[in-house]
Amino acid sequence: MSTERSQIVGQSRRSTIILGLAAWIAALLVFFPIFWMVLNGFKEEIDANSSPKLIFDPTSDRYTEVTTQTEGLLGFQEAFTNSFVIVAISTLLVLIMAIPAAYSLSIRPIAKWRDVLFFFISTKFLPIVAAILPLYIIGTRYGLTNSRIGLVILYTAMNLPLAVWMLRSFFSEVPKELVEAAQIDGAGIRGQITSVILPIVAPGIAATALLCVIFAWNEFFLAVQLNSVDGSTVPIWVSSNVSTRGNFLAKLSAASTLATLPVVIAGWAAQKRMIRGLAMGAIK
Amino acid sequence: MTAATADRAKLLAKRNRLEAWKRRLPLLPALLFTIVVTQVPFVLSLWYSFTEWRINPPSPRTFIGVDNYTGLVSNSFFRDAAFTTIFMTVASVLLSLLLGTGLALLLDRDFFGRGLARTLLITPFLIMPVVAGLVWKTQMFNSSFGVLNWILETLGFDSIEFVSRWPAGSIIVVLVWQWMPFMMLIVLAGLQGQDPSVLEAARVDGASSFSIFGQITLPQLRPYLELGTLLGTIYLIQVFDHVEVITGGGPGSTNIPYFVFQRSIGGGWRFGEASAFSIVVVVASIVIANLGLRVLSNLLEGEAP
Amino acid sequence: MADVTYDGATRIYPGTEIAAVDSLDLDIADGEFLVLVGPSGSGKSTALRMLAGLEFIDGGSVSIGGRDVTLTPPQDRDIAMVFQNYALYPNMTVAANMGFALKQRGIEKEERARRVREAAKVLDLEEYLDRKPKNLSGGQRQRVAMGRAIVREPQVFLMDEPLSNLDAKLRVQTRTELAELQARLGVTTVYVTHDQVEAMTMGHRVAVLRDGKLQQVARPRDLYSTPANRFVAGFIGSPAMNLIDVDPGNGPLQLGTAPITGAPASGTAVGTVGVRPEHLRLGSTGINGRVTVIEELGSQAFVHVAIEHEGRDEVLVVRDEGETDIQRNDNVQVGILGPCHLFGTDGERIDQ
Ligand SMILES: Nc1ncnc2c1ncn2[C@@H]1O[C@H](COP(=O)(O)OP(=O)(O)OP(=O)(O)O)[C@@H](O)[C@H]1O
Ligand SMILES: [Mg+2]
Repeated sequence: MSTERSQIVGQSRRSTIILGLAAWIAALLVFFPIFWMVLNGFKEEIDANSSPKLIFDPTSDRYTEVTTQTEGLLGFQEAFTNSFVIVAISTLLVLIMAIPAAYSLSIRPIAKWRDVLFFFISTKFLPIVAAILPLYIIGTRYGLTNSRIGLVILYTAMNLPLAVWMLRSFFSEVPKELVEAAQIDGAGIRGQITSVILPIVAPGIAATALLCVIFAWNEFFLAVQLNSVDGSTVPIWVSSNVSTRGNFLAKLSAASTLATLPVVIAGWAAQKRMIRGLAMGAIK
Repeated sequence: MTAATADRAKLLAKRNRLEAWKRRLPLLPALLFTIVVTQVPFVLSLWYSFTEWRINPPSPRTFIGVDNYTGLVSNSFFRDAAFTTIFMTVASVLLSLLLGTGLALLLDRDFFGRGLARTLLITPFLIMPVVAGLVWKTQMFNSSFGVLNWILETLGFDSIEFVSRWPAGSIIVVLVWQWMPFMMLIVLAGLQGQDPSVLEAARVDGASSFSIFGQITLPQLRPYLELGTLLGTIYLIQVFDHVEVITGGGPGSTNIPYFVFQRSIGGGWRFGEASAFSIVVVVASIVIANLGLRVLSNLLEGEAP
Repeated sequence: MADVTYDGATRIYPGTEIAAVDSLDLDIADGEFLVLVGPSGSGKSTALRMLAGLEFIDGGSVSIGGRDVTLTPPQDRDIAMVFQNYALYPNMTVAANMGFALKQRGIEKEERARRVREAAKVLDLEEYLDRKPKNLSGGQRQRVAMGRAIVREPQVFLMDEPLSNLDAKLRVQTRTELAELQARLGVTTVYVTHDQVEAMTMGHRVAVLRDGKLQQVARPRDLYSTPANRFVAGFIGSPAMNLIDVDPGNGPLQLGTAPITGAPASGTAVGTVGVRPEHLRLGSTGINGRVTVIEELGSQAFVHVAIEHEGRDEVLVVRDEGETDIQRNDNVQVGILGPCHLFGTDGERIDQ
């Protein structure tokens, strides 16, 4: 398809090479900070905290350091467990609520589906920071700060509008006749969703879930305000490796690499779906 | 006969009501959840904003009317923060959109290792903002160990303390670095959704590559560019993490989210006043949201499922 | 198998004022092939979907096999439907597509496979059973859609323009096959089309709709020979019947200069005179006119002749069997051979 298209656009061979080269240079430049971070994670502090060098004795000591538990400090294991649990549960909750909602806004739409969709998206315009005070106060009163539950609720709320919006777009790509055919073939609402709709929108659901995971995994503000003591997540653990005393660059790099790895790998694996998911559905 | 007809009409009306609820039901959990979790805090904020309420030193909450708001008008820090927010949002959205579009155009052609190049390019979007901020601050911008300064020095220039010299600029660089891939993905989706036969027709009509781009590709991309702007704005206007780790709210880089934080749980502990800030932010956001939603309604225009 | 009855059935779409289908009364006999025909937007699909249960009925009722199904959801109506774009489940193989309805009814796997195979055999689909719909040609997809309907052995088949996505040649062929299949299975069928040739060739009876209102239900031949009103007269037949408005005043009824015989017995005012092209003949006597267009079809030609009628220009389309050699702009005479149809000023047929 793309080769065909480039022929249509009539590229000469030379310009293909030049532009391909440009794309590669851009890719390497953009990726460089990440490459550098990974590299620094394998250095001794002394090598990291000096004028940049590419040649050094690689060591995995920093990884050992950041993953060993120090008494009284937020541990690697604790932070990752918290993050996994919070992200997984909140994403699951988002999907459980967003899938039926998207169905109600596209396949068998309620009368005012546009208004409801606007409402969902408009909540994304309300700054979280403006809500942090009441959240903090409510959270303290009901013991939701420094617990996983508080963040689960907030991350669910944070991602729900986006998920509803994206899923609605995917659902509205399901031809109406298909659902009607299933109805006539005797399928009830459950049968329609599981046998006909879900198989078609599965890539869209995957893309949506991935975005929710990315945003929840990476979220720092709410985590640091509400869960800085217990139930702390990975972003807090990363920032705890910054210290005012001594050198910490290599350690920080190792921690950063570990912290970003799960989401980066998931994102890499699902990038094609994301492309489809982010816009193709979102615009239809 | 008339009794039977009336019965029948009642039956049909009942069916219609039932159907309406059957349609609404699946929506309710998401809707109720969103209303409770997002609207309740704002109602509380609204109430707090009319009170004088300090935690440190502790003071009882007293109702003071609109004093917090009048104080706000004359607060030059707030004005600065508002300006910084606008500047940072506009600059980072536009730059990431521009660069993202450029990258998408490059990636839309086939070349050696295209898949891998795309993989590298999307990675910054996946990186945790805290990590992105820290890595750029400590390993790129830093005056003694930073790569940028090492390059400058190698080329014979003096090293620069980027973060203290251009606090907002440094933050924008990192934001653009992270959001450019997102814009790229959206534009890429738009490019791949293009109808090749239209391009072919233009080719046959003898249009140059430039005029094809300007007159066919760009108009087709418009909804995607609008979508990118909308989503980018939603997220970038709320940037907090980057400010926190890169400058810690240093001069010229405190945006409104950070400012509200500083004034309240970030150390100021003036809940009443901070709430008033929040409410102003909410109102401003609603204004911006209205503009954004207009874009959105264009996207949805004419669409009836 | 069952008969179908529409009894004053009405559908008003939410947000609209006018009924898309307005008090439809229609009795369809068991085993009958009934075709709904009409121009775009006339409510054909809506009428069919009301029978399927996909649209609500806002007034009147619909029954299948004597059972009132007005409030019954589609899943419980025991009907099968073939959609215009086939609506095959893209994620399922041909076999799974055809077996889906049986599965929903909880029919055993072996029994399901047996019935799917049987239906596949009837439709020549056996070699494609394991394919996904996207790997089939348009004609094959159409047959799968048919297969999905017939495995169910439903009470009624519903079809909404099932042939319109096929190319012209395949459409003609499938048309015949479908009519044969229906005759063999003997399942009551309601078939929607806007193609009057399909309607005339396939239907046992044809129902003509316009703006949601039923105009006429009749056997194809009767529809052609005695259209109930001006609309049906103009809609059925290709090329269309010549319909010329007349205002005879007190004088005799005339088309151009030719007198029309068989004026109404009653004193009803005639508004329109209709005459089919094959009932006109170019000859040496008749209405004077000038040839404007000649549509040559080989075995016959349709000649458009401009005439003067009641002081204004009108065009008559005349079928010519090719015996005369005529050119554009020739002056010719048009004779009336066959019956003329008369319609009142309200458009209704006036019996002679
Ligand atoms: N979902 C709907 N909401 C509102 N009005 C509708 C809807 N579906 C159809 N209509 C209207 O109802 C009328 C009948 O539509 P219908 O689809 O039954 O026509 P049709 O005879 O099948 O036409 P076609 O040959 O174009 O398919 C039309 O005026 C149409 O605009
Ligand atoms: Mg139709």
